[in-house]
Amino acid sequence: MRRRKVIVTWKKFLLFLAIIGPGIITASIDNDASGITTYSVAGARYGNMLLWTLVPTTVALIVVQEMAARMGVITGKGLSDLIRENYGVRATFFMMVILLIANFGTTVAEFAGWAASMEIFGLSKYVMVPLGAFFIWILVTRGSYRVVETVLLGACLLYFGYVISGFLAKPEWGEVLHSTIVPKVKIEPEFTMLSIAIIGTTITPWMQFYLQSSIAEKGIKKKDYKYSKLDVTVGCLITNIIAFFIIVTCAKTLFPQGIRINEAHEAALALKPFAGDYAAAFFGISLANASILGAIIVPLATAYYICEAMGWETGINKSFEEAPQFMWIYTALIVISSLLVLIPDAPLVLLMVLSSVLNGILLPFVLIFALSLINNKKIMGDYINTKMHNYISWATIVTLIVLTSAWLVMAVVPDLI
Amino acid sequence: MPLFGELFVSELLKKPVLDPKGDELGIVKDFVVIKGTSLPRVSALILEERKKLYCIEWENVGIFNRRIISSKVYSPRVEPYKPSDEILMIVRDIFDKQIVDANGAKVVRVNDVQLEGQNNDACVSGVDIGMRGILRRLGIERKSEKVYRWLGKTLPQNIIRWSFIQPLEPKLSVLSLAIPKQMISDMHPADIADIISGLPHEQGIAFFKGLEPNVAAEALPELDDDLQKAIIEDVDKDYASEVVERMPPDEAADLIADLETDKAQEILELIEEEEAQDIQELLAHEEDTAGGLMTNQFIAYGPDITIEQAIENFKVDAPEVETLYYIYIVEDEKLKGVTTLRELILHSPHVLLSDIMETKLKTVSPNTDQQIVAETISKYNLLAIPVVDDEEELLGVVTIDDVMEVLLPPSSRRKRRAV
Repeated sequence: MRRRKVIVTWKKFLLFLAIIGPGIITASIDNDASGITTYSVAGARYGNMLLWTLVPTTVALIVVQEMAARMGVITGKGLSDLIRENYGVRATFFMMVILLIANFGTTVAEFAGWAASMEIFGLSKYVMVPLGAFFIWILVTRGSYRVVETVLLGACLLYFGYVISGFLAKPEWGEVLHSTIVPKVKIEPEFTMLSIAIIGTTITPWMQFYLQSSIAEKGIKKKDYKYSKLDVTVGCLITNIIAFFIIVTCAKTLFPQGIRINEAHEAALALKPFAGDYAAAFFGISLANASILGAIIVPLATAYYICEAMGWETGINKSFEEAPQFMWIYTALIVISSLLVLIPDAPLVLLMVLSSVLNGILLPFVLIFALSLINNKKIMGDYINTKMHNYISWATIVTLIVLTSAWLVMAVVPDLI
Repeated sequence: MPLFGELFVSELLKKPVLDPKGDELGIVKDFVVIKGTSLPRVSALILEERKKLYCIEWENVGIFNRRIISSKVYSPRVEPYKPSDEILMIVRDIFDKQIVDANGAKVVRVNDVQLEGQNNDACVSGVDIGMRGILRRLGIERKSEKVYRWLGKTLPQNIIRWSFIQPLEPKLSVLSLAIPKQMISDMHPADIADIISGLPHEQGIAFFKGLEPNVAAEALPELDDDLQKAIIEDVDKDYASEVVERMPPDEAADLIADLETDKAQEILELIEEEEAQDIQELLAHEEDTAGGLMTNQFIAYGPDITIEQAIENFKVDAPEVETLYYIYIVEDEKLKGVTTLRELILHSPHVLLSDIMETKLKTVSPNTDQQIVAETISKYNLLAIPVVDDEEELLGVVTIDDVMEVLLPPSSRRKRRAV
């Protein structure tokens, strides 16, 4: 009797292992270059004050990703396919233009992160950025990138180093806990911008597309959906636990010294005296890994979603003649982004934070589409949203819209306050 | 009133429809289509007026062209339309959906639908899958044409005739014609596999079920292992067993090994005894060894027959067997030698097989690791290698295409998508 129970549990665990992946992988990519930078900047600028934003962000992240996962399992289709099939060419075209702009910003941010991390090791960005771009392009078009993807995802385990460094920094846990639970707000553009950036870098439009496609691709069955849900939830928690510790580390080491970060390598150098040599190297390696992983996946995913929605030929092993739109979108994203980063004195951190903000502005549109799709009984059958789900999703969208407009107003007319 | 020439559905949408007095009845919203004599034909127009939908039967449509659409009925007599999932509509059910282009052997998306006048009907003659269709839907076809001309280029037309199209939604199957189905049967199995793997799961299953068991059995081994398993688990057991029965036994064994025990048993029971036995034998071996890769269909004759006899036998045995080039010579179940099809043809018909056979041949044992099997085949430039047990008994052969996957880098194996 007892033995049987053990076997059943074991079987369930194996099934879970077969189904996990998309959620946790998406979560790992989620902490990309702009993510790491935004959290560091937030910790250095406001200490623990912004920690509380992570709590609603986590809830919102779980809610929106669960929707993407559910649509992926039930329909077996990607988000761009669903938008195209249900809202026609116009809406799709509009959506894809937005996605292209947002992901262009994200790609720039990834290359900026790559440049910054290389500068930490004293390597010139004028050599390393073209080299990185070329490497990515060749890797993907020559088609052995899956192996590299696996290696880089494995390297994401490095992020747990942030958890360790968070403990090593010996913060006052009481205060940390207090800041996490009790919201504090400062009315100034920088504060609003950073809170939008934290949400924007955690909940990104492209991630919704990415997660849904990878789940659809896996062909997970309806009856196994609960494991997918668990996968997504665990992934979201990991993302934000790491974000939490990045903020805590920077809040403890940089904030009290009044150090403001303007460039990413300054963050690493600033960490040196307080957290030791290893911290700087660690920061550099993590940033490099996150950046290059993002730079591989974001342009590729963008090219895929746009071409699939528009019905254009896709495929990494196709030539420019066979799949012109796909290859041009992919190549242009990489080339233009890396060139932008090479402009002398380009304010890299600003670029990265800006891309997060851009994503934050665009997210509501994606979510509104997702919400109307997931509440469509014809598409989702019995798996439409519950009322609770809809409330939380709408709350997220409304919050994002309010924060974004507040930031825009404050940025344009700072004298208002 | 007939339709002359061709036009696109998107050009007609939102156009006002006038009654004989010239009053506006509403704007064009959609077209109802039904199975026609050859092509599907429009049976009614759906109009929208102040958020309400109306329906005009095709018989009651007067003028029908790009500029003017008119109705023979007067405004108060137009029937309201009740939305129904039973009927098929162009904008709702065909626009933006994926379809299979049987001619180009790929899955494409419908950007626009072309109508063509045939006798008194407007028939669905083709679908636009190109850039033009998208631009027309966005209402910027003319402007884009100018831009293209300014760039010294022309906007290409990319229209597929309806007779080459296989719809994927089960609902649309009434509109599908016989030609595309035949064309799909004639496609290369690898192309069929590409189509299946490019589709969402349920549509892929539906497409697979529509294939002849023979065709399905050739296409299935070309798919990724997980996908093979998912498909066989989702089709009914009779069809599954018919397909598995027609697969090469080594591929069938790989697939059966991946299935859950109950399902595997169910399928094996329905398969003809001889084939089931072949599969059972192969199932005993580890997957990544010579035993796991090999097939037990091969050509083997005794040493004492003449070439003439061998060729006669060969003609009978060949259709069943995957690898034909090597003829193995077996005596008392023991592998004695090998000869090739070339040798058979070049030598005089009366020579015995034992006189022309090569006796120093390379073999592997069932437990040999697949990597070593691959290396041996590659090193000695073989097309296949025999698998023998300790008593020299010939158990099966591993062919070069079975080890191809071991030799190739992982990325070039048949997995569809990258992201």
